[in-house]
Amino acid sequence: MTLQIQNLGRRVGQQWLVRHLNLQVDNGECVALVGPSGCGKSTTLRLIAGLDPVSEGEIILDQATVTHATAAQRAVGMVFQSYALLPHLSVFANLELGLRVRGVRPIDRQKRIQAMLELVQLHDRADVLPAKLSGGQRQRVALARALLRDPDVYLLDEPMSNLDAQLREELRPELRRLVLDRQKPVIHVTHDQHEAMAIADRIAVLHSGRIQQVATPSELYHHPETLFIAKFIGRPQINCLRPMNDVITAVRPESLFFANEGLPCKLISREWLGSSQLLYLDSPEGSLGLACSTALDIPESLHVSWHRSDEHHFDAETGRRL
Amino acid sequence: MNRRFLVGLLLFWSLGPLLWQVYTSFCSDQALIQPFSSIDHRWTLAHYQNVLTANPPFWRYLVNSLFVGVSSTFLCLMLALPAAYALNRIPSKLSMLSRLALVGAALFPYVLLFLALLETARVLNLGNQLLALSLPYAALSQPLAILLLNSAFSDLPPELEDAARLEGLSLFQRFRWILIPLISPATASTAILVFLFSWNEYPIALTWISDSNKLTLPVAMARIAGSSIYSVPYGAYAAATVLGSIPLILLVLIFQKPIVSGLTSGAVKG
Repeated sequence: MTLQIQNLGRRVGQQWLVRHLNLQVDNGECVALVGPSGCGKSTTLRLIAGLDPVSEGEIILDQATVTHATAAQRAVGMVFQSYALLPHLSVFANLELGLRVRGVRPIDRQKRIQAMLELVQLHDRADVLPAKLSGGQRQRVALARALLRDPDVYLLDEPMSNLDAQLREELRPELRRLVLDRQKPVIHVTHDQHEAMAIADRIAVLHSGRIQQVATPSELYHHPETLFIAKFIGRPQINCLRPMNDVITAVRPESLFFANEGLPCKLISREWLGSSQLLYLDSPEGSLGLACSTALDIPESLHVSWHRSDEHHFDAETGRRL
Repeated sequence: MNRRFLVGLLLFWSLGPLLWQVYTSFCSDQALIQPFSSIDHRWTLAHYQNVLTANPPFWRYLVNSLFVGVSSTFLCLMLALPAAYALNRIPSKLSMLSRLALVGAALFPYVLLFLALLETARVLNLGNQLLALSLPYAALSQPLAILLLNSAFSDLPPELEDAARLEGLSLFQRFRWILIPLISPATASTAILVFLFSWNEYPIALTWISDSNKLTLPVAMARIAGSSIYSVPYGAYAAATVLGSIPLILLVLIFQKPIVSGLTSGAVKG
């Protein structure tokens, strides 16, 4: 099973929400779509799901073109940020609705739902209304619904954004166990780059409705194609020095180190991050962030340096990597 | 203390006339004329007896009104529910224009239509048919019903329907399994408002129906009030009013919760 999108675009009125999208997701591969809000991540997902009409391009699922098939005709399992559980139906009834519509026999429905509830560890909550469940449990029900669909492709639309940080970390292995191990293409939309890096095999960065780069997390981090990606991927954010001859030089905060000579700096503030610390410095090249070990003593006269090999160079006008 | 006084005043203001009507309905004619002198037979059930045993008996009008009310409400909701849903799905410009037109229609004084309606009834031979009355009633309630239901539809998170589409539910199935159950509070409050309108409507009922077996409550009550040119039958009139209000009071008491939650839906995000 392979999901392929070719030159995909959606236009509303005169405005293109997304355009020229090309992406291939292989069996068992998880691709994360990341980007700032309004960049077209969710639009892309809705196009693949068949919830919005495609204006140009093709969607190919396992060599069959499904560009204009209805949402029901494509076997996609989608998980929404808001869970999208029906508030007036019990957990069991929520899961049953789709099976019933698809004509599964009552006895089979019962069996499959029971098995699925065991799998997501909610077998004792079958008769409960979604309002009585915690956020993590609701998301597991939503996952169970997508799994029961037995889809050819999984679409996860910010599935964990409504959960607190701790729960998110707890759910990640769960997500891996339930979805990522099914050997189906998975597209995971998120605005949280940590989540993207933790879960995805490859990350596609979207900006203003275009895919800027598709690469592995490490490739994106070490060789960002554009200045936008360099700034978007990696926290604390990359340092951009003053442009010289239309070239912007950027250095990651963790590539900076104290030296006897180099850029003279003044310490503005300091953030304690537990295992490391982040120093905000003021320099002739503008403000800089420097990440270093907490064990490190901060010298009296601050001079900061970095290796030439850690520099990223971008065209000041186009933002492209040089 | 101050607040209690104000609430009391408000209750007196709104319930006073109703309670006076109840009081009047149980007073003998003599007691009504001489309210402050001592009379032997002050309290009586005679007015109720008269009203209920008249020809045709009063309960017939109740049944007529109930029939018209239920059929109008049903017809109105059958048309307004899909219309209100569609209003959320059409392009926003068209939707805004339609909404404006609906507000205009809701504010239009319908009495101005009544000559045209009368002519329509005459041409189509709709006079003296109770069921036919629900046609103008459902139509006149349409703008308000659509606006109320539309706001209920727009309060529903769109993902619910998206998820259902992915599960393979058709438009009708989504309507049946998801949308209708979720907006039932708004539907209940809309139904009550439409029912109230049809229960109270006077000019159209007066002109379309002349057969005294088919009169609706407001017209029948007006007939009691004007039955004699020499006297006003206060007692009988009051008894009829009380009897006519009971079904409404029951209805509102039963559906109190959904009415309030339906009318305020959309006011605050839940």
